[in-house]
Amino acid sequence: MTVETISNILFASLRVSTPLLLAALAGLISQRVNLLNIALDGLMLFGAFAAVVFGASLGNTWLGLLLAVILSTVITFLFAVVVIELEANLIVAGLAVNILATGLTSYLLEVLFDARGAYSPGGLVSLPRITLPVIESIPVLGDILSGHGVLVYFSWVMVVLVAFLLYRTPLGIHMRAVGEHLEASETAGIPVKRVQYIALLLGGALAGLAGAQLSVGNLTLFTDNMINGRGFIALAAVFFGAARPGLTAVGCFIFGMFEILQFRLQTATSIPSQLPQMLPYLIVVVVLTALNLQRRRRKAVITE
Amino acid sequence: MHDVEMEHEPGSGEGEAKSPSRIPEAFSGALMNIGKVVLTLVVALLMGALVMELSGKDALEAYEALFRSSLGSRTAIANTLLAATPLIFTSLSAAIGFRAGVFNVGAEGSLYLGGFAAAWVGFTFTNLPSLVIIPLAFLAAGLVGGIWCYIPGVLKARLAVDELVTTILLNYVAILFTEYLVNGPFLVPGVANAMTEEIVMAARLPRLAPPSQLNASFIIAVFAGLLMVFVMTKTRLGYELRATGDNPVFTRWAGISVPAVIEKVMFIGGLLGGLAGAGQVMGVHYRFVAGFSSGLAFSGMTIALLVRNSPIGAILASLLFGALRSGSATMEIFSDVPRDLITVLEATIIFFAAMEISFDFFKRRRHDR
Repeated sequence: MTVETISNILFASLRVSTPLLLAALAGLISQRVNLLNIALDGLMLFGAFAAVVFGASLGNTWLGLLLAVILSTVITFLFAVVVIELEANLIVAGLAVNILATGLTSYLLEVLFDARGAYSPGGLVSLPRITLPVIESIPVLGDILSGHGVLVYFSWVMVVLVAFLLYRTPLGIHMRAVGEHLEASETAGIPVKRVQYIALLLGGALAGLAGAQLSVGNLTLFTDNMINGRGFIALAAVFFGAARPGLTAVGCFIFGMFEILQFRLQTATSIPSQLPQMLPYLIVVVVLTALNLQRRRRKAVITE
Repeated sequence: MHDVEMEHEPGSGEGEAKSPSRIPEAFSGALMNIGKVVLTLVVALLMGALVMELSGKDALEAYEALFRSSLGSRTAIANTLLAATPLIFTSLSAAIGFRAGVFNVGAEGSLYLGGFAAAWVGFTFTNLPSLVIIPLAFLAAGLVGGIWCYIPGVLKARLAVDELVTTILLNYVAILFTEYLVNGPFLVPGVANAMTEEIVMAARLPRLAPPSQLNASFIIAVFAGLLMVFVMTKTRLGYELRATGDNPVFTRWAGISVPAVIEKVMFIGGLLGGLAGAGQVMGVHYRFVAGFSSGLAFSGMTIALLVRNSPIGAILASLLFGALRSGSATMEIFSDVPRDLITVLEATIIFFAAMEISFDFFKRRRHDR
């Protein structure tokens, strides 16, 4: 394998791990306020849909992106009301959002555009790419890090911002307190519900961006169920990173890399395409298993 | 373990209901449950109507086409029962998991792998009589489906790996793997679509009401539902899984192995998914066709949530969802409303179920205090 191949793989891995990373940050923030966000997959699908549809009808990809964030946040608000105010079962409500997303986007695609399965409007351009000034000229590293779409860089900035939010701001401290011990936080006078709302809504916005990255980040294409379980892979990355921003980002990168490796296996070998396609899903299950095995062993050592 | 709290299925209150003064209470409770189900369905239909009206479709016309083509004639009704058949299996699969507090969404994967196993038996053992090959194919499908869900079951029970995430991701693996099988090792030369060769005549399930494709797997599905009532209420496993669902901590203190219960429940859930696949292969398609399910397991989950895990309720609600599914094709043709509308109805029902589960949980907790 040449240096060029490796840098190509790493470049592409960074690109495909971006939607995972944005969604994982969303999942991470909700996890921190003690809410397991099963709805990520559906929120991403809404985001992907809105970015293409509004981007095309308004003739501007940025407006599409904005509306993707708004739509995903609005749906998250409904989800939040149902979960926080009406105390609905978190997981069941999350699955409802996912199923609503698959049904409603397919329905609207056909009713509005007479399109079945896929919609690719002409004239819509994807989000711009950015070349990083100094880094670009560094050999190898420049090839890997420079020239990505805007949301790729945005997602890295968000890792830092989310870490800052959680560990350095009063809101973040409240969030972690709510996650650690809800009743105690309530007694201490933390506005638990408000903190949970903020966490979920922030996550909703990020999940919308995650979906938009998939639909208008490189191509401008929406296909039915195009998220393909990425919301759940993102959730697995949160488990992997124990809801810590840096480690979660590493998890997303690893899972993203396997997505690229499976692409490579499909194109470079004669193995039937379905076998490599299974790989990213299997890896996630294997990683989660290994992780829990290790954590249990560590716990056993401590209790001995 | 996820914080899932499900109410007892209506049948489980029988023991308490024996004292005469409580009978009316149990009766009104059952009525209330039926009332809730009807209310949920009405809201879902209204929600669907809203979506249709907002998108410029005639909701009344669409619903009329839907129900006419699912209930309007003898064949229409037979087709509704046909569409209900796999749903009965998958809703039972979801229900037994939910009742034990396990979020097993793996029935979709089991359905594919089980369906393939049944097809394989059906086109490999060409000399066996019906009485041997049909049970053999169902057995193979049930085993393969069961083992498929048993894997995430063990991971959940022994290592606390989140079963919802693993079963959803493993569904993709199963779907891709069967797609590989029909495109690779079991490719039929000269056939355009991804499918295996046909199963032998002996392995085809008898039709119950031709020209409808309604077949004997409907009877097997109903029988599975009745068997599940028995298992849930009269057997040790039923007691153990209900206890696990209600209070895993207490269950452990009572000397029941919670991991063992979870593993068994996951196996049975997968087994039912496998049977669903076998029924479709041997009763409808007569071969394995890649991607044939279209979310049957998720509809099953919706049904289980709607009827709060009651097996009898699951059979009845499957008939209703069968009507929706079988009518949706006609609705699409005659009133130009995409059949994805049914998925929107399902999502509404699940939202309501989500709210009710916690409401009951909340009420019970308050009652305990």
